[in-house]
Amino acid sequence: VSTTPPVTREDDRGPSPERPSRPRQLWGRLPGRRVLMYAAIAGPGVIAANAGNDAAGIATYASAGSQFVYRTLFFMVLVTIALVLVQEMSVRLGTFTGKGIAALIREQFSLRLTAVALFCVLLANTGLVVSEFAGIGAAFELVGVSRYAVIPVAAVAIWALVLFGSYRYAERIFLVLSLAFFAYPVAAILAHPHWGKVATDLALPHFSASSAFLLLGVALIGTTVSPYMQLYAAAGVVDRGIGPDEYPSARLDAISGAVFACVISMTIIIATGAVIGGHGPLQSAKQAAEALRPVAGSGAELLFAIGLLGASALAGAVVPLSSSYAISEAVGVERSVSRRFTEAPLFLGLFTFQLVLGAAVAMTPVNLIKLLIGTQVLQGIVTPVVLVYILILANRRDVLGAAANGPIRRVAATLVVFAISAMSLLLLGQTLLGLL
Amino acid sequence: MPRRPFLSRPSAPTDRLRRRVAARSERLITTRNVRRTLVSLVGIVGTPVRNQTGEDVGRLVDVVARVHGDERYPPVTGLVVRVGRRRAFLDAGAIQTVDHGGVTLRTSRLDLRDFRRRPGEVMLARDLLDHQLVDVDGVQVIRAADLYLAPVGDRLRLVGVDVSVQSLLRRLGPKALRGRPTPDRVIDWDAVQPFGDQLTTGPATVKLRTANRGLPRLRPGELADLLEDLRRPARQELLAALEPEQAADALEEMEPEELQALLREVEPSQAASLIAAMESDEAVDALRDLSEKERSEVLEAMSPDRARDLSELLAYPEDAAGGFMSTTLVVASDDKTAGQARELLKEFVEHRTEIDAVVVVDADGRLLEDLALFELVIADEHSRLADLLAVGEHAEAETVGPEANVREVAARLIDSRRSSVLVVDEDGHPLGRILADDVVDALTPDRGRLHFPRLFK
Repeated sequence: VSTTPPVTREDDRGPSPERPSRPRQLWGRLPGRRVLMYAAIAGPGVIAANAGNDAAGIATYASAGSQFVYRTLFFMVLVTIALVLVQEMSVRLGTFTGKGIAALIREQFSLRLTAVALFCVLLANTGLVVSEFAGIGAAFELVGVSRYAVIPVAAVAIWALVLFGSYRYAERIFLVLSLAFFAYPVAAILAHPHWGKVATDLALPHFSASSAFLLLGVALIGTTVSPYMQLYAAAGVVDRGIGPDEYPSARLDAISGAVFACVISMTIIIATGAVIGGHGPLQSAKQAAEALRPVAGSGAELLFAIGLLGASALAGAVVPLSSSYAISEAVGVERSVSRRFTEAPLFLGLFTFQLVLGAAVAMTPVNLIKLLIGTQVLQGIVTPVVLVYILILANRRDVLGAAANGPIRRVAATLVVFAISAMSLLLLGQTLLGLL
Repeated sequence: MPRRPFLSRPSAPTDRLRRRVAARSERLITTRNVRRTLVSLVGIVGTPVRNQTGEDVGRLVDVVARVHGDERYPPVTGLVVRVGRRRAFLDAGAIQTVDHGGVTLRTSRLDLRDFRRRPGEVMLARDLLDHQLVDVDGVQVIRAADLYLAPVGDRLRLVGVDVSVQSLLRRLGPKALRGRPTPDRVIDWDAVQPFGDQLTTGPATVKLRTANRGLPRLRPGELADLLEDLRRPARQELLAALEPEQAADALEEMEPEELQALLREVEPSQAASLIAAMESDEAVDALRDLSEKERSEVLEAMSPDRARDLSELLAYPEDAAGGFMSTTLVVASDDKTAGQARELLKEFVEHRTEIDAVVVVDADGRLLEDLALFELVIADEHSRLADLLAVGEHAEAETVGPEANVREVAARLIDSRRSSVLVVDEDGHPLGRILADDVVDALTPDRGRLHFPRLFK
């Protein structure tokens, strides 16, 4: 892969005659930050994994564990398959066309349909921004700082950081902070879950028709398969100049990233289920932090807060950036995006709008966990729409040529999109009936 | 419309007002006239096609124009019409009028054929509308929001590309408004560079190379901007259309990450010829940014001489003089005459920007002096370089070792007030030259700070 960490260069000092004979210089010319960057962001895979670990993701998984113990695990297996299929299609679109998904939608669909797709992306991402600010607020409330004080500061800080500051360094700091969530797999083991039950729940389907289960199911889809991840995956390969030749490794990266993300999610469910399973819906971030107690003991809340802050702040910057980028790309002003901000009023406007709206909604006095899961339900409803576009694009031979979906993949992907859509519609219907 | 110079006397405000009103109404009339003659592609696609007697015969699907031809404004060569369930091609000769109400045909008899693309032809709605194009005059990548057709001479031709956001909104709005041209930000088709790659059906028989009217005019920096902004297929086509020298100049101006991505996209052989054509110091920078494997692939595809030169440079640390020097040197031994040295310079025409002096060496190839071009120009044609050096009215050569760091080089340049310093090895053999601008590049902190952070890195 082109993203091979340069760290390995030390090892492959082969017989090539051009090779400089001074090994120290090989290291010397590698600025430390670059090594860190490669180590931290190996490929879109790790970023995808991290996207599943953002504030809303943690809240949703933890809530699943607390409410239904291990019973959502089989559902997560299905979600994993869906995520793998969808991410693979996105990466394939990026590698074979060299264009982002928004650009492809503009070129392949009518302008009205493009507008619909982008509206959905904007809606889903703004929902996600709300949840990220809610996450930042929750992280600070765990250590006793009011969210009403923190959220506005965080919004301004992220805005200024992306506009004027060194966003790249900040991104890495956030990423390192969010690594705290890798304590979950350890917690899942230390909590001594009932492994037999975990295994049966993984293998055997469990569906209950209750609206609570359905709601959580859609939220799980929404948080795991979010439109921003597909845009991100495609843009990632386009941006790195990965072409058809390197498609196998790009695919491997996408698939392993998706599987990895889902495995982490499942450990969150298992850890939470083992510690506080059966207590009904999750009520607070404090409760969610309990799941880390087997690892961190009394430091569980702090560890949870650090991870939550890092993941939320990272996604709080990346998500609005990615939707602004997608819309600029579709309108055709991406040129100004890679230039200075003053030349990009549309981009700047969208970015600011999402941050302001996200922060404002996150400040409304509602239960944070409910707000987080609510945004994921919104995501779950919007996601199928975006998936349909990706599916159609990946099916088209005049877009992908020989790399278009073959009959088997076409059937599998259609089934997945159909199943996700059906869940969302069911939920929508139930909600509407409930309102009547 | 050009605004008239502001000449009015302050004592005549009514005069000024009158003139402003006149200019305004003139502008309105022009806009209205332009709007009347322009036919919006978005407006006519999907409208009925009628025969002479006013009967509906089908619906317009697309307009075909010979875009990759010799004419400045591509003529419409036919229409793709849906008749019943069938898509058929209708030759332009059969068209009577085209306006927002629809297409009226000259005859009542329909001569329908299956559409087959002829050389240079493009389906406008499918292949150009909403796709990336290059505006050569404004030097920017654009996405066509609408295309305007107008009768020019005896034929309907493609005359302009609309790139306004207003047009996008109009297309989202009700149908009645969709076809109404909003010619506020229209780019003359003559300044637009389309890409053959967008033809998704049939082979693109006419490639960009023949149609690149505007490209040679562009400066390297402008080309670099375009290369950065285009998506992969169009980018590769633009690259292929450039002369290797022109392409290499543009690559030198690109942001390192963008260059890295671009070099990954192309075949190693093409990457090799592009890098080989770049100035050595820029070529080395580009190679440094590739992975070990990619780098050796590229070097293998290069001519052995060039590959060896670049490998030697790669051996120096990036921030040492040897790592950012240029190896293009004009070297003359001191027994040559000034005339011979001037002849020698002619071989380096393409490196004119990185040569400000001739390196004079002794019989063993050791540096004697760095003779500024000015000295060489005013010298008598037949005088030997050794004699010129003996006169001693020139500045001493400024040299640094290959391990010197940027600050040392900068200090040297400041002390000597020269525009370059020479890099010499321990034995006094000249290795390369560092120009003041290379030092400026090396000293300028992270250029990325002024730029938008790359999203997906």
